[in-house]
Amino acid sequence: MHPYEIALIAGVAVPLLMFAVLALFGYRIGKPAAGWCAVAAVMASLALSIYVLVGWLGGTAADHFRLGQEAARYTWLTMSIGANHIPVQFGVKLDSLTVVMYFMVTLVSTCIFVFSVGYMSGHSDEVDGISKYHRFFAYLCLFEFSMLGLVISASLFFLFVFWELVGLCSYLLIGFYFDRKYASDAGIKAFVTNRVGDFGFLIGLMLVFTFLQTLDLDQAARTFAEQAHMKTGIFAPVVQIFGWHITGVTLATVMGIGLFCGAIGKSAQFPLHVWLPDAMAGPTPVSALIHAATMVAAGVYLVARIFRLLTPEAQMFVAVIGCITLTITALIAIVQTDIKKVLAYSTLSQLGYMIFGLGVGAWIAALFHLIVHAFFKAMLFLCSGQVIEGCHHEQDIRRMGGLHKKMPVTCWTFFVGVLAIAGFGIPALNFGLGGYFSKDEILAVAYERAYNWTYRFEEGAEHGAAGHHADAAQPQAKYMLAQHHAAEPDEDKILEEDAGYPGEGEIIGSEAAREARAAKQKIGRDTPVLPKWMFWLPIIIAYVTPFYMMRCWWLTFMGKPRDEEVHHHAHEMPLMWVPLVVLSIGTVFTSYFLFRPEIAEAGRQATNAAMVVAVDGGEHGELNMLSLTHEAAHNPHGALIYYVGFAWLIGMVFAWLIYRKGFILAERLRRIWPLNWAYVALEQKLFFDHVYNTVFVAGTQWVVAQAARLVDTYIIDGLANLLARITVGLANFSGWVLDAAGIDGIVNGLGETAEGLGDIVRRPQTGRIRNYLLFGTAGASLVLIAIVIVAVKIG
Amino acid sequence: MFDPEDFKYVKFLVEIGLTHYLVVATLLFSMGIFVMTTKRNAIGVLLGVEMVLNGAAINLVAFNRYHGLATVDGQVVTLFIIVLAAAEAALAVAICMNYYKNLSTIDVDRGDTLAG
Repeated sequence: MHPYEIALIAGVAVPLLMFAVLALFGYRIGKPAAGWCAVAAVMASLALSIYVLVGWLGGTAADHFRLGQEAARYTWLTMSIGANHIPVQFGVKLDSLTVVMYFMVTLVSTCIFVFSVGYMSGHSDEVDGISKYHRFFAYLCLFEFSMLGLVISASLFFLFVFWELVGLCSYLLIGFYFDRKYASDAGIKAFVTNRVGDFGFLIGLMLVFTFLQTLDLDQAARTFAEQAHMKTGIFAPVVQIFGWHITGVTLATVMGIGLFCGAIGKSAQFPLHVWLPDAMAGPTPVSALIHAATMVAAGVYLVARIFRLLTPEAQMFVAVIGCITLTITALIAIVQTDIKKVLAYSTLSQLGYMIFGLGVGAWIAALFHLIVHAFFKAMLFLCSGQVIEGCHHEQDIRRMGGLHKKMPVTCWTFFVGVLAIAGFGIPALNFGLGGYFSKDEILAVAYERAYNWTYRFEEGAEHGAAGHHADAAQPQAKYMLAQHHAAEPDEDKILEEDAGYPGEGEIIGSEAAREARAAKQKIGRDTPVLPKWMFWLPIIIAYVTPFYMMRCWWLTFMGKPRDEEVHHHAHEMPLMWVPLVVLSIGTVFTSYFLFRPEIAEAGRQATNAAMVVAVDGGEHGELNMLSLTHEAAHNPHGALIYYVGFAWLIGMVFAWLIYRKGFILAERLRRIWPLNWAYVALEQKLFFDHVYNTVFVAGTQWVVAQAARLVDTYIIDGLANLLARITVGLANFSGWVLDAAGIDGIVNGLGETAEGLGDIVRRPQTGRIRNYLLFGTAGASLVLIAIVIVAVKIG
Repeated sequence: MFDPEDFKYVKFLVEIGLTHYLVVATLLFSMGIFVMTTKRNAIGVLLGVEMVLNGAAINLVAFNRYHGLATVDGQVVTLFIIVLAAAEAALAVAICMNYYKNLSTIDVDRGDTLAG
């Protein structure tokens, strides 16, 4: 094992140990100490991750690739399908994405753990006289363990195990104030909603296991590409499931969508997004850590990891889901008045951007957005926690306003977060916060897919000659590019290395480059042109995002105080704003420079470059055209400047114009048609909860009630009646046959016999003395006669 | 000509012996029993009882006379019987008095309360 692997596994183990300690002895450790124990554990993980990160950044791409290949695998158990024995292995997926995610998770967690110590100190945390303080930190440690385990898992199986563990932690922490009805309801809602998604995930997992015959991510991708090329396995024209022969269905797409369902649940995408806003019932640090920065991003991480298992159709599905989510949730965010709900909906919207980015093939941009978003959204949530704590659990922004004087640090760190999420940047100067670059990347790719797609590959076709004609009609060519070599393993290794880690000029003109070029053209043919609306919706939402964030910030911190009482009591706690400063200063600026190259490199490794290069690369290079710097000269970026370059400014100014005097103008606008209708619809969250409650909750209850009634009436009652009848029958048998005829029969028989005998015997008992005398005399006479006879006989 | 056997019955008729006493006693006893079983009058029954007692007494005396070996045990017992009969008569009459008091009759068949 390489030291990096040991460090990463140790970093996972430490929070688990601390969880055990806190769970078992936390009550004795006491109130502030338990929190600091948890902080120490997560800081140990952070130190280990920094060690790995520093070492990693020092290595070259080739080093990274080699380390990833050499990572150890431990067989946990072996499962069999027919004659095939498939090992389920645990191992560290060692690549740039893992290292960066690991660092992001530990850094954000450390900040939030420290914040939590401050946040929880002011909370009455007793239920029935028992302190829940240590339990909170125990859960946080368990979450830390699960999340880090999820990030390093190399096997889909262990990924799923940790996936469920983070779901459990989410449930435990949302329902942390379980003595309040809404919190426990929210926990249940989150858990149940996630089960729906995980059901799909399981189906996908089983399809992977059955058809690809492996659970290892890399191995699965290799087999997938091979099968796509050979048209066997999951790509076979006829698939046999449970004895049914299914034709004409691409099971591969079903598998991809199934796996993506897990992400829909965890990342709260469109049909299952309803749980995330409710999850804000948990303590605010939890909202920051789990429901904004890390866990909900796990869905995006999953899609990134299974990217190679997605067919073009499945990718389009992912993109559509992401696009719908980012649109509707951003619109709902406009009318929310709970500060945490605004942030929750903005989280949903940003997650939608990431999923959308992955769907259109902007792998690097989406992952980069994930990292950037984790930092600024954690920060925004911590700010909101500071505000809520400072205002004595007031979450309604209608009662806030003017808090900037009372909490300046919170105010301005929040503003940095607002700028970051709004995509603040100055296009001409190539300067901006993380969100400016990451969102721009996603939109640029969407632009390419929507407008330049056909053109781009036609142009490429002129240059790339030979390979292109060879398999012109190859529908799965995308995988061929990626894994063309899998069919011929010997050649493959060399080519894969070549293709993956080129020096800049090395490959151009070589065999591999020609092949890659040809394959790139195939991608153009396979991957459909993006519908125009899927480009324009994210563009419009790019204007909406700064609007609602500015609205939230302005109404909270600026203007005049709308509630004197809240304003009067507002205060700031040092322990709580230090993490804010760390997060804002340290990450929003540096994430771009520090992580983007790493993720770009991870993109090349994780996706074998093909799709990523094709869509994310701009048009200058052939293979290594990853745009590591944001060059305005790039055609899509250049075009985007006109579309969204100053979206952040326009949106924010518009918000300022409307909300600068509080709600007065907004109230007036709300009454104008059609805004009044829109307002009602958005206020009611587009009726998703209503529909789900009516259709699913009430429907399920109805079905259950009917089922219960039928089962009760016919089965339970039937059984009960049957039992009753049997009992009655037995009782009758016992009563009539055994008791009456048997026992009673004997007793009565004896009695009757005695009575009969008595009847006979009593006849002579006339009561008349004369009769008695007669009988006596007669008897005596008879005896005498007998004696005489006997005497005569003898004598 | 004279066959002593022919006088056997004459001798029986002339010579009074044990058998005669026994026959008388038996007759007396049997008549007593008959009276006791047929009479419905309590006093009549009492008379029957006396006859039975006397029958028995004759028996005792007769056996003592012929097989007594010069003892008077039979006579002694008979004297007891006579005394007993006297006492019994007194008692029986008293019973009859009470019987009459209860049932306004001395018909023994009416006293069938013990009928089964």
